[in-house]
Amino acid sequence: MVYALLAVFAIPTISIIFVYLTGKKSPKAAALFVAAIAIINILLVLSTVPSVISNPDHRYIESYPWISVILGSSFTLFADGVSLSLAIVSLILILAASLFSITYMAGKKRLPAYYALLCMLSVGLVGVFLTSNLLLFYFCWELMLIPAYFIVGEWGYRDAYKQAFKLLLYTHAGAVFVLLSIGAIYWLTGALDMFTARDSLLALALPDAAKWLLIALTGGFAVKMAVVPLHMWLPDAHSEAPAPMSALLSGVIISAGAYAILRLSLGMVFPAVGIEFGTDFLHALAIVGVLSAFFGALIALVSTDIKRLIAYSSIAHMGYVLFGLSLFPSDAAAGVAVLFASSIALTGTVLQIISHALSKGLLFITAGAVMHQTDERDIRKMGGLASKMPFTAAVSIIAALSIAGLPPFACFISELLIFIGAIQVMLLDQFYLVPTFLMLVITVISLAYMLRFILNIFFSSKPEVAEPVAENTEVKKTSGVSNWMKLSFVILAVLIILIGIYPAFFINLIQTVHFG
Amino acid sequence: MSLESYAAGLVWAIPLISSLFVPAIGRYSEKIRNYFTVSVAATTAVLALLLVPSVWFSNGEAAIFNLNWLPGIAAGVYLDPLSVLFTCLVAFFGLIIVVYSLGYMKGEEGLSRYYFLILLFIGSMIALVLSDNLLQMFIFWEMVGLCSYALVSFWYKKPESIHSGVKVFIMTRIGDICLLAAIGILFFMFGTFSFYDIIGGLESEVIAGTLDVGLLVTVAFLVLGGAVAKSAQFPLFTWLYSAMEAPTSVSALLHAATMVKAGIYLLSRFILVFSVAPILLVALQETWFPVVTWIGVITAFIGAALGLFTTDIKGVLAYSTVSQLGFIMAGLGTAVAGAASMGWFASLFHMVSHAFFEGLGFLLAGGIILALKTRDMRLMGGLRKAMPYTFVLALIMVLTAGGLPPFASFFSKSLIIACVSEVGTTSGLIQTILVYATAALTFAYCVRLLSLVFMGEQSPFVERISVKEAPKIMLAPAAVLAVLCVIWGVSEPVVADFLHVVVGVSLFEAFVSLEFPIFMGLLVSVFILAYWSYYRGFWGIRRIAAGKNPLTILLEHKFFLDDVGYGIVKWIEKLSVGSLHVDGGLNRFYGYLGRGIVVLSRGVMGLDDLLTRLMDYFGGLFVRACLLLYRIPLKTFQNYIAAVIVGVILIVVILYLAGAL
Repeated sequence: MVYALLAVFAIPTISIIFVYLTGKKSPKAAALFVAAIAIINILLVLSTVPSVISNPDHRYIESYPWISVILGSSFTLFADGVSLSLAIVSLILILAASLFSITYMAGKKRLPAYYALLCMLSVGLVGVFLTSNLLLFYFCWELMLIPAYFIVGEWGYRDAYKQAFKLLLYTHAGAVFVLLSIGAIYWLTGALDMFTARDSLLALALPDAAKWLLIALTGGFAVKMAVVPLHMWLPDAHSEAPAPMSALLSGVIISAGAYAILRLSLGMVFPAVGIEFGTDFLHALAIVGVLSAFFGALIALVSTDIKRLIAYSSIAHMGYVLFGLSLFPSDAAAGVAVLFASSIALTGTVLQIISHALSKGLLFITAGAVMHQTDERDIRKMGGLASKMPFTAAVSIIAALSIAGLPPFACFISELLIFIGAIQVMLLDQFYLVPTFLMLVITVISLAYMLRFILNIFFSSKPEVAEPVAENTEVKKTSGVSNWMKLSFVILAVLIILIGIYPAFFINLIQTVHFG
Repeated sequence: MSLESYAAGLVWAIPLISSLFVPAIGRYSEKIRNYFTVSVAATTAVLALLLVPSVWFSNGEAAIFNLNWLPGIAAGVYLDPLSVLFTCLVAFFGLIIVVYSLGYMKGEEGLSRYYFLILLFIGSMIALVLSDNLLQMFIFWEMVGLCSYALVSFWYKKPESIHSGVKVFIMTRIGDICLLAAIGILFFMFGTFSFYDIIGGLESEVIAGTLDVGLLVTVAFLVLGGAVAKSAQFPLFTWLYSAMEAPTSVSALLHAATMVKAGIYLLSRFILVFSVAPILLVALQETWFPVVTWIGVITAFIGAALGLFTTDIKGVLAYSTVSQLGFIMAGLGTAVAGAASMGWFASLFHMVSHAFFEGLGFLLAGGIILALKTRDMRLMGGLRKAMPYTFVLALIMVLTAGGLPPFASFFSKSLIIACVSEVGTTSGLIQTILVYATAALTFAYCVRLLSLVFMGEQSPFVERISVKEAPKIMLAPAAVLAVLCVIWGVSEPVVADFLHVVVGVSLFEAFVSLEFPIFMGLLVSVFILAYWSYYRGFWGIRRIAAGKNPLTILLEHKFFLDDVGYGIVKWIEKLSVGSLHVDGGLNRFYGYLGRGIVVLSRGVMGLDDLLTRLMDYFGGLFVRACLLLYRIPLKTFQNYIAAVIVGVILIVVILYLAGAL
């Protein structure tokens, strides 16, 4: 496929208007349209896998002329093991979200616009992962935000536009730093291709400038990633968004922040800052990661709102990811051991982004189904839903156990790899002793809050509430969980278990990428 | 691929895969589901037995069935006498329990879930002991924990069973962390997860003299941490009593016979691995092995003391399990020479006899609980008439657990005691005394159990409900275990041969050894003491046990270990609430920041407004002044002169000001 990646961009872009028009006739057809586009795009992205594996540099690149006025701003699309895996996962979540929306959003107003926005979101979201041109990257980065703003605002729950505004404001404030850094990089190196820029920055040997670039870029992306203390937009936006959007926000949009840190901050600028500052920087990342993980996990342990609980758990998981990123090889020249240890940890980190996206997506849409059926969002007032919604309960428990890091589910493998990498790095760099230990402690807390989630909603134990509550939550809607919803659950649940048992597909892809 | 290689793969794959079909079949027909489960369990047991010859008659260590699972990490099966011994135990007990469940769980809700989890557990546990690498083992280690949690919380409508499930899960997870850390360090040192390659790496590093002994000692302690949590050792044993909320069949399978033995398996496996490096064994002898023995001895003693105190029939069996696991641990602590030492064999031998008698105890307790609908022994009494078969089997169980000849535990326990008493240091002497005391306590709580439940007159409670003997389908598996209790002890030479261990003493020597008279003397005196206290009310032991004194307070609070645990949980909760406040604070901070910006904007807007107004005002004034000037009729010369002078002065002032600035 010569134009595979171009098609990945073009098909949804052109389709936006047709999705809207189809939606005028039938919202369901529009949803299936979006789903079909997602499936086609998944196949198109997958078609690049053979060349990624067989090419000597493990990259697949397509380049087209774009804005000729700015030097070097070509429309460059590329795929390597990491970006390709994340693009596939994003598309899978778009697929699940659109299928889930059929029933979940039924009866809401202005649905044609909703599906058109969803289609638009998929362009930006996939674009972020599939380009190596910084200008195009920024373009997609912002393109991701606009549909998110309108979907959260228009179809959200309480005070929706206010929360959407918060989302916009925070992430856009972060994006300003990103844009400034991209401008500075262009000014310094004259290159807009991230790989060329990396080499030029290294050749320029401007450690001081690189330091500021690194800090600005990472800070900007960290807002998107919602690490403590820049997380305040996340619990509100994620919990007030409609469930399919929460799944996308928590699943892949914040992961885009993690990807950007890995690809731009660490992959592009980091080599130029020098070992000393680099090591300090990585240590700082580890500390922020541990802080986020602790903070998110502890609050999830006491949250009573079903969606806020999941949202805080996302913060905790971004903490894991940031901790994993902090194991980036800082002194690769020092020896093979560091590279080897870091490569395990970073493979785990990318896999963690993937498994977290799938698990959190599933958890959010099942929570959406629960809210849809019960009109209730306080987990203390729920209980005994396992017998009334057995299918939803089963998949939700799969998602929750995966988030808690238990085998045979996806997050277990990725966390295991992170920890094994971390323990090895720890033996080379004493600093990681305490963070690794704390992260291990957090795995116990995350098990605790996920168990609490499962027990409160699906079973009927109420040890923590003194006042008597209903033994069983009433299922108010008679329509039941539709087959479309079930289909979206099954897609994600099967993938979670598949990755948990046999993760080789993604791991093989990720390991083709050379970190550091 | 020979037959064994297929069997070695199938023995865990079959129950794991079949478990997935159970819910589907259960939806179609309950009867077929039950037959299906039993046949899967039976097939598993047969496959496990097929593995025996391959390790018995050959020198028997083989890693086979390699599947490239993660890049660079092959999944495989490790066959040696140790893993096959555990495999057979698990498969056999799985079959026993599945059959028993047909009677015990009859008519319960959610049986498809039950059989699904039981088969999943059997498969995972066998996969755990047969794994040829640490990663695979850890995955199944977590899976058995998950099964244990789900089965403890099986009756999810009971709040206490949910609560217990969470406690069991979280407490054992603490050990998992240690194990994970140990695995990480080993991977760092040898670049592999495989037992074979780790052993190879150890051997070559010993030859090259580059072995990092200090780090390996750390690994050994971390592994011990994992085993302590999983095998319910001091100070993390309290979860085992909470796990008694599970159906009794589950308690027998998971919390007596198999899952709690995972920690024992882990330690015995690692002792084998470590023993290839003599220099490492020397280092471990100083710290690690004594700690293992001490943990075992303390656990054994505390468990027995609590067993003597509790009034819950399953509680007695749970603490008895804790105590016996302590014995096994203590035995492993004396295995300073690896597989060549007596302690290693003694522990494994006792591990199996404990599985038999404790499993038997649980199966009988299940029948009693089913008939009486209570676990409180104070309500029981005189059951020997109503349940004669159960009584006979219970007698065998009690005699075995107490360690009387010729039952299984007599041989295995006296071997362990002999091992501990041969340590020979001062602390070894204290350990020996404690072990003897524990053996005496063991017999005491056994006699107490028998007396309270079966002896004496029928209690009013028992009389009120007409108690019937347990159904045959439950008695049959119990009878099989009872037979094994009798013959396991005397089959010691066969077992030793199977494990490729040379036992220093013959069976007969157990009777003529120095320990024998001490042991028997203790048991007889305990029996007399128990008889007098329970039947004659002599010595006021009952009064001591009923009154409030430091001893009973200590026992009632289970040595305050649970309180420490709950304290930690409370503390974490406080931390969570604190974080929530911090979160709110941060939110407010950003809110203030936002509001500050708004205030600033308003201020700027006000300033802007003011400036506009000022400009408007002065502009207007200026225009008006101009208009005024325009209208002034310039009549006189003086006026011109005056205007020029004013103008010049103004210009001078302006220039001056400009110059000054």
